[in-house]
Amino acid sequence: MTSTERLPLRRPERGRWVGGVAAGLAAHLGVPVALLRALLLVLAAMGAGVVAYVFLWVTVPPGDPVRAAAEQRAPELSRLARRPTLDPARLPVTDIALGLVALAGAALLVADRLGVQVQAQWVVPVLVAVAGLALAWSQLDRTERARWVAGGRTPVSVLRLAGGVVLAVVGVLLLVSQGASMSATINAALAAVAVLLGVALVLAPWWLRLARELTEERAARAREAERADIAAHLHDSVLQSLALIRKQAGDPEAVARVARAQERELRAWLYDDRPEPGTSLAAELAAVVAEVEDIEAVAVETVVVGDRVPDEDTAALLLATREALLNAARHGSPPVTVYLEASEDRVEVFVRDRGEGFDLDGIPHDRFGVRESILGRVRRRGGTAEVTSSPGRGTEVHLTTPLRGEERLRDG
Amino acid sequence: MGEAELPVDVVLVDDHDMFRAGVRASLDERVRVVGEADSVDSAVAVVHELRPTVVLLDVHLPGGDGGGGAEVLVRCAALLPEVRFLALSVSDAAEDVVAVIRAGARGYVTKAISGPELGDAVVRVAGGDAVFSPRLAGFVLDAFGTADVATGDDELDRLSAREREVMRLIARGHTYREVASDLFISVKTVETHVSAVLRKLQLSNRHELTRWAAARRLL
Repeated sequence: MTSTERLPLRRPERGRWVGGVAAGLAAHLGVPVALLRALLLVLAAMGAGVVAYVFLWVTVPPGDPVRAAAEQRAPELSRLARRPTLDPARLPVTDIALGLVALAGAALLVADRLGVQVQAQWVVPVLVAVAGLALAWSQLDRTERARWVAGGRTPVSVLRLAGGVVLAVVGVLLLVSQGASMSATINAALAAVAVLLGVALVLAPWWLRLARELTEERAARAREAERADIAAHLHDSVLQSLALIRKQAGDPEAVARVARAQERELRAWLYDDRPEPGTSLAAELAAVVAEVEDIEAVAVETVVVGDRVPDEDTAALLLATREALLNAARHGSPPVTVYLEASEDRVEVFVRDRGEGFDLDGIPHDRFGVRESILGRVRRRGGTAEVTSSPGRGTEVHLTTPLRGEERLRDG
Repeated sequence: MGEAELPVDVVLVDDHDMFRAGVRASLDERVRVVGEADSVDSAVAVVHELRPTVVLLDVHLPGGDGGGGAEVLVRCAALLPEVRFLALSVSDAAEDVVAVIRAGARGYVTKAISGPELGDAVVRVAGGDAVFSPRLAGFVLDAFGTADVATGDDELDRLSAREREVMRLIARGHTYREVASDLFISVKTVETHVSAVLRKLQLSNRHELTRWAAARRLL
């Protein structure tokens, strides 16, 4: 990254020792990780470091800072290949925390055995409160943290939060009400709950707005990405075509060709289901038609009924169709139409033009491509091919191929 | 089905000024444009006020509840027998076309149609006939199936052999006149068949049609 911009604060999965706080801070501030770790250790020895570390662990979201920076940029600027990501081995944070708690308990027991006066009335409440905090905070270290904040709570996460709050409240009450009477404890508890409720009430609108803004922002981001997709497509195709048209404004044929190709592409993009390549005879026919339109600079109206998976027989049929279309475009006059119908047992193609028409028998055997390239091709595959032509009504080529496979697509 | 009185009064509904101007210029003396509209709401108002013989209706229109041409048809349903609608669209999408037909339009042509052909189509619709472009005929064959399935179904739910033949010829790019001479029947008979197919397309609850429509997100 040569960017002068500061990376956002994230806890990277890679290169972390405990929670990734030091690594994330180092990336954010642009200082060596080792220096930051040493500083944190010194601070931790004095106590403040531990609090700061835990606070950051909980509040800073996990993630790759570099990728987060890329995501924060406008989507249209970031349509470049993503960096390959390694799936790092995650530190089992929960297990370590449980182990620490167990160790602390063991140490207390050992100390008690050795005759040290353990101040149980202090230690137990503190442990209870810390356990509650850990329980409530543990889910903030999850990647679904954002989802949780936005309102996508699961029953488990709610239960965890409730349990954590109860534990923490009990711990704090035990701590505060050392030796006080039962009624005083209850009063204090009531007062504490009342204060908490009051604070929650005050903060509720702010919290709701935050959650709503988060949802809206995510929706806006999705819209922005979609818009960028469309913009990219328009730029790649439509704007290029318009530039071409402007450049070739003096050549009507070239302009018509570019415009027709662009219209075809835009239609396919807007209206078609874009079938997988090699699964749709209709799509292959569309490609053949596009090629003929480009070669001969005519518009061909295409109507397709049914569809099937292409095979060798239909490939021969399409080649013959292509020849027939080229002939119609060269020797006939527009409109040129092609109609393909794929039924259960055969595929039929009609290619029609509105030219003068001609007499097939009157054409010398060695002259015209129709006989071999169109009629022969289909007949060799067991199909039928006939040409009807009469003066004033143009020419129609009718090709049929029987189907042997059972691969007809249901529903087209 | 009778001959329409000429010239035919037409209301032109399209949200593009340039397209309306182009259509007005390309229509011949058989057609008289008496009004124009550029949105769902204005179209409903203009059609109710002028009660033209034919409305040339763009499938994609702004305004209203966002239903486009089909919404105009639904809101003008009371006028439908006298006022006839011919749908015009740049879209090739089956759902757009079939939605306006099922809402009551008497035909569908693409905007690439030439002026004289559009004039023919308007006169034909004014006379009570249906206008099928090759593409619409293709949609019909796709929806109703090309094979003869002789079951005890409702008569609305399948095409007769003759109707299927007519649809196939239209899909192949033949004019009504050419269809008539191919099948050795009169143009009137061709028109009767096409109108029957239109009625089936509008009224059929055919299982295949429903499934076909659902596959194209129509329902």
